Amino acid sequence: MASNFEQQRALEPYVRLAGISKSFGPVKVLKDVSFDVCPGEIHALLGENGAGKSTMIKILSGLYQADGGVMEIEGQPMRFATAKDANAAGIATVYQELLLFPELTVAENIFLGHYPRKAMGRIDWTAARAKARDLLDSLDCHDLDVDTRIATLSVAQRQRVEIAKALSHKASILIMDEPTASLTEKDVTRLMEVVRSLKARGVGIIYVSHRMPEIFALADRVSVLRDGMMIDTRDITEADEATLVSMMVGRSIEQLFPKGEAKIGEPVLEVSKLNHGRLVQNISFTLRRGEVLGIAGLVGSGRTELALTLFGITPATSGEIRVKGKPVSIRTPRQARDLGLAYVPEDRGLQGLVKSMSINENLSMAALDRMSPGLFLNFTEEARRAVEAVKRLGVRARAGIHQPVGELSGGNQQKVVIAKWLETRPDILILDEPTRGVDVGAKAEIHAMMSDLAAKGLAIIMISSELPEVIGMSDRILVMNNGQVTGMIDRADATPETVGAAMTAQAKSKEAA
Amino acid sequence: MSLRTLLRHETILALVAVVLLVALAFQSSQFFTGANLLNQGRLMTEVGLVAIIMTFVIITGGIDLSVGSILGLTAILTGVFWQNLGLPLMAAAGLAIAVGTFCGFVNGFVITRFGVPPLIATLATLALYRGLAEGISQARSVRGYPDWFYVLGQGNILGVPTQLWILIAFAILASILLAATRIGRSIYAIGANEVAAFFSGLPVNRTKIAVYTASGFAAALAGVIFVSRVSTTRSDMGTGLELDAITAVVLGGTSIYGGRGSVIGTLIGLVVIQSLKNGLSLAGIKAEGTAVLIGLMLIGAILMTTVLNKRRA
Repeated sequence: MASNFEQQRALEPYVRLAGISKSFGPVKVLKDVSFDVCPGEIHALLGENGAGKSTMIKILSGLYQADGGVMEIEGQPMRFATAKDANAAGIATVYQELLLFPELTVAENIFLGHYPRKAMGRIDWTAARAKARDLLDSLDCHDLDVDTRIATLSVAQRQRVEIAKALSHKASILIMDEPTASLTEKDVTRLMEVVRSLKARGVGIIYVSHRMPEIFALADRVSVLRDGMMIDTRDITEADEATLVSMMVGRSIEQLFPKGEAKIGEPVLEVSKLNHGRLVQNISFTLRRGEVLGIAGLVGSGRTELALTLFGITPATSGEIRVKGKPVSIRTPRQARDLGLAYVPEDRGLQGLVKSMSINENLSMAALDRMSPGLFLNFTEEARRAVEAVKRLGVRARAGIHQPVGELSGGNQQKVVIAKWLETRPDILILDEPTRGVDVGAKAEIHAMMSDLAAKGLAIIMISSELPEVIGMSDRILVMNNGQVTGMIDRADATPETVGAAMTAQAKSKEAA
Repeated sequence: MSLRTLLRHETILALVAVVLLVALAFQSSQFFTGANLLNQGRLMTEVGLVAIIMTFVIITGGIDLSVGSILGLTAILTGVFWQNLGLPLMAAAGLAIAVGTFCGFVNGFVITRFGVPPLIATLATLALYRGLAEGISQARSVRGYPDWFYVLGQGNILGVPTQLWILIAFAILASILLAATRIGRSIYAIGANEVAAFFSGLPVNRTKIAVYTASGFAAALAGVIFVSRVSTTRSDMGTGLELDAITAVVLGGTSIYGGRGSVIGTLIGLVVIQSLKNGLSLAGIKAEGTAVLIGLMLIGAILMTTVLNKRRA
């Protein structure tokens, strides 16, 4: 592949950025950034959250205008005033949050805004459907019906529709912003095939991702942004994971998953035959003090639903929960909190944080009645605790504790959610995808924090889609499929193979009984 | 930040209010007199009480359209309890206020228990409570209250209209409640992100029920003051009051999407509207003209919040 690429490099880049800079108010987000993509090249773009990747993508796709520097398309200087200009110049973007209309069909979404027309401007639906079919077929998506409503599709299918939509603009350059962030392993493999076939057709791809294996499997070149500066661009053959990570964070990371030895104590949470709906069926397990129990499973296997049931958001319909030996009934998050449970939810923007509120207001939210037991809010105590938590967890906020959390990067937002729950002094901490969308540096910090908390006797349940994370961090791994437990694997026996096999296994409780 | 932007909106609105007062003072010599201003305060109280709690409701992301009907129902009940049931007037008024408060509780219960959108739930109770008021009154009005009762709506204490004292006390209490207590913080959190508030263990439903109940109480209290001010009860009292209250709240910078707003903003909004109505009519401009002007100001206020928010983002 490398030699193949050498030939292609002889081609002119399709799009080239030179000396691009961009500021928001006093904050310089991009400083003198240069970057280019050739036709048929996959160029991976790496960087921590807040490094400037999104800004760069938005300049390329016409949503922002650069303050300085040049952008060239096929050697011609260009300025995009709108996203439409970028589309017209052959640049299309598939964003992390998919921007489709759930109530419209696949074909309608693909051609929204540029439907094929018949005489007198009427929309040619026959042509639209046929063209949509062709586009999907060219992506090897024969299983997607063009008349299905988007709302009924899975995340992976929606993403393919987004890609088809991008291609419908005759894109020469496709920007993919963390395309695999919410996909299962199987869908990732399929997406990678799609990306390769696009490359083979001469489409240049800017591939933004945190996941190293994908980058090494796909990319021809890799560029690393840090603090708004382009640190380096290299051929993938000249890069290895450790160098890339140290380029991203500006320091080397000793160990990615530092689960330390913790003393495993007495059981704090005993769950037996817990049920709620289709995705929580007959779940039984025991969680001990100082233990990290990983929960693995494919998307839709019931991992999050189990957490929601434990936390009283979707209360159990049957089964028993014992906290510190006492049978309890948990009907609301408030009751769960009072029993010493804490839940850091999957979607931090929607469920974890009130983004318009400040760091200190978010931090005190779960423990508001304990922090201010009287009639009035105890602002002094709130500020004191916030300053302490920000310092202890290393939350980076320019404006201090009064900064709205919506302005923080993903990793710092996640730290705020975790800190909020630590303020309740929980015995049992449930973390749902604690490092999703979090950059490498913050990820390591969160892992270190988990280890530290476990060593102090906290019992932790960690739900994660990332196998290396589950295997690296957990003392035991509970594997779920279709709402049932399909395996309980000890740390010593946990390998990607054993856990992966259990993730697709059928529950054998019936045969065992 | 939220405090700073709020203050910005309110500062601008306060400046507008000052300019307006000065301009109106030049238009008519009767406008800027102590007697006239105090009288305007008297007229403003009923909408004011309702608007203060409406601020709470709107900050939670809800709305209460039934306040005008609750006011009407309370007014009717005060008369009926006193005249037809023969209760002492004080007890009759107290009982009527209790019923009005319960009406607010019903709103909150329906909204939280059955998940009905506040707009629909209170639109339904708007019709329901007004219908009850009309049914109970049988189109008869009750008059002839004892003189002491008129102190509330027509009298003065220390030279200031009695009900204006009530409004001031109410406003101070509400400001403190919203800015410095747990329930106030919960109200903002629920409006900004109800799911996150619930996931954080805040008592979402309890807070909402409390807010709608308080809204019922404010409307009921306004109803009794109304009766005392106009010396009679009629079942159509308070018709359209909800719109005046919402106008004041939104003009005062409270976001109709929830999560943002303040009592002081609502108060300035009330003053602006009341002085426009009064000043322009003194200057000989017809009521239709005033309505157009208020509409334009509302649009201006919303544009201003949007621009301020965009700049911040």
